[in-house]
Amino acid sequence: MSVMQNNSEKAKWYLPGVLGGLWITGKHLVGNLLNRKKMMTLNYPEEKYDYSPRFKGNHVLTVKKDGSLRCTACMLCATNCPAECIKIVAAEHNDPTVEKFPIAYEIDILRCVFCGYCEEACPVDAIRLGPEWQTPAVNGGNFIYDINHLAYRPNLKGGIQTHVDDEERHKQGI
Amino acid sequence: MPKITINGKEVEVKEGTSIIEAMQQSGDRIAHYCWHPGLSVAGVCRLCMVEIEGNPRVQIACNTMATEGMKINNTSEKVRDAVKWGLDFHLINHPLDCPICDQAGECGLQDQYMEYGKYDPEMAEPKQKKHKVVDLGPTVVLDSERCILCSRCVRFTEEVSKTNELGLFNRGDRTEIGTHDGMPLNNKYSLNTVDICPVGALTSKDFRFRQRVWYLKDSETVCNGCSTGCNVKVYYNREGFFRVKPVYNEKVNGHWMCDEGREIYKFVNKDHRLLKAQVRNNTGWTEMHAGAAAKAASEVVKSTAADSLALVLTAQYTVEEFDAIVGTFVNEFKSKKVYFWINNKESFDEFDGLLLRGDKNPNTKGLLKVLEKHGISATWNELSQGLAAGSIKTVVVAGPENQAVFPDFADRVKELSKAQNLIWLQAGKNEALSALTGNVSLIPMKTFVEKDGTFINHAGLEQKFKKATVVVSEALTLTEAALLLAGKNLAINASPANEFMPMNQRIDQVEVEARKKNEFVFKRGSL
Repeated sequence: MSVMQNNSEKAKWYLPGVLGGLWITGKHLVGNLLNRKKMMTLNYPEEKYDYSPRFKGNHVLTVKKDGSLRCTACMLCATNCPAECIKIVAAEHNDPTVEKFPIAYEIDILRCVFCGYCEEACPVDAIRLGPEWQTPAVNGGNFIYDINHLAYRPNLKGGIQTHVDDEERHKQGI
Repeated sequence: MPKITINGKEVEVKEGTSIIEAMQQSGDRIAHYCWHPGLSVAGVCRLCMVEIEGNPRVQIACNTMATEGMKINNTSEKVRDAVKWGLDFHLINHPLDCPICDQAGECGLQDQYMEYGKYDPEMAEPKQKKHKVVDLGPTVVLDSERCILCSRCVRFTEEVSKTNELGLFNRGDRTEIGTHDGMPLNNKYSLNTVDICPVGALTSKDFRFRQRVWYLKDSETVCNGCSTGCNVKVYYNREGFFRVKPVYNEKVNGHWMCDEGREIYKFVNKDHRLLKAQVRNNTGWTEMHAGAAAKAASEVVKSTAADSLALVLTAQYTVEEFDAIVGTFVNEFKSKKVYFWINNKESFDEFDGLLLRGDKNPNTKGLLKVLEKHGISATWNELSQGLAAGSIKTVVVAGPENQAVFPDFADRVKELSKAQNLIWLQAGKNEALSALTGNVSLIPMKTFVEKDGTFINHAGLEQKFKKATVVVSEALTLTEAALLLAGKNLAINASPANEFMPMNQRIDQVEVEARKKNEFVFKRGSL
């Protein structure tokens, strides 16, 4: 490590700098005491900050109207994922109009870098990065999110539907 | 021998060669779907357009013969335009469901689109809806919408398998591939239709949706399903082996392989394999490292007199391995009691006229050659008598990899278990073996995709193949087992860090020294 030494005359005048700093501290102290609503800090976890709706938090698998997964198990998200944290097992569906669907969809959330590439790669809007961001767990908690968690966790209230409607899409011949 | 010019290059081809074949020879790329070198010419896809000097219009290359002095061009703007609009017609009714299509990643239509297409479609009409997920037979599923009607599969069943199950039905844009009622696509070569389908219309039930092809690596090897010895490619990744496809070899299999051979990837996978050596004595089974078990077995073998020691071989190993183990027995243990375990003698000479042979061992000729070389003429009857009389005390068995073709497996195990000590070298798990009582060592072996070697096929053709990857890392080859049984030590080559990487790949071109030079070196400046 190198130490920078400034031996100029000007460097001896440290008092104005110290007093300037104290002045800023005092100004904020008095300001915060007089109107506490404008305070910059939060009393986390009682108070939480609202991020922009575009915030990329924990993943959500969207569902169709009947509540089944939209995901077609095309594995484009898994292919595009730079952290290689998505694992999908595809299977044939009983319904011939569906053809392919995931029987397992797992995200290793500890490896995930929340880049949003999966969202971008998805051709059917089946995976999104949602607004949730605080999902701690104690040591031994399950950080491999499965279908059950990604699509049907309690705070999604039965699953999130997407604005893309399959039937309308088929009617238009897409 | 006509001399022709292709894209400015002069090529000399045989009389009667079509232009597309000539282009394959010269290495020029040409768009095509319906043409396949192993099938007749149909000329229905109209994509292999070429411009011939002196002809005002572009022509298809697959049905035009090369003649002396022909000047052919397939890179001109005119050709590209013709292919582009030909492609537009193909894509009229083709659904763009690449994400769920199993062929994505190795689809001809995707490739051609990336090379010639990339246009905005000018069709306002909705796409023609056809049948999805049609069950053609026990092995193949058809998606009519994806079919571009190249008729390769139809021609395959007409010309190669000669079973005529498939046909083109209806007319115009309602045309579909299909089978007649009560005549499913059910022949021994049906999965070749999946291989030659240029789009994802025909998919194999076995491989369907199990892996995306871009996650798979491939490696060429020789099929060990029967004595034909077809050249094949195995596809695998770190989760195991997933499929087998044929590789063209004019002398052996042409372009095709049988459905039975496509099953060979299964017994290679970890869940069918013996992962650890199992050694049994009076107290019960204990697990051991394969090498340690072989070392322990060498004590047993050495303490047995030469005339009460026997070796049983199945014809599923490589020539080199046979040579090593028979050599060890003859030279080290001075025993010539080496027996050839023949699985189904009656059907050995069967042949279905195309590829499938009754001899389900890849290397019968190789084993016989090695036995002859060491002057061994023992017959199975001698072994049976020896076991019954108790004169044979220790038996070393090199069991089959592909157990499915040994219907008498359990009986033979029973017969051999009469020996005091049984040392069984085997790749796959088996119930009959783990039910044995007495002194038994089960030592895991490597399968044909995990080792280099040579198979000699029914015609006496020697085919060398390379190791693809490692599935069970501690399993031994028969050569290694022979060394250990003789009490010698193994020289182990340190394997690369990632054992799932393909072994036949070129090592990193950038050498470490060169890499150091290019590395960014941060030098702290003085302050």
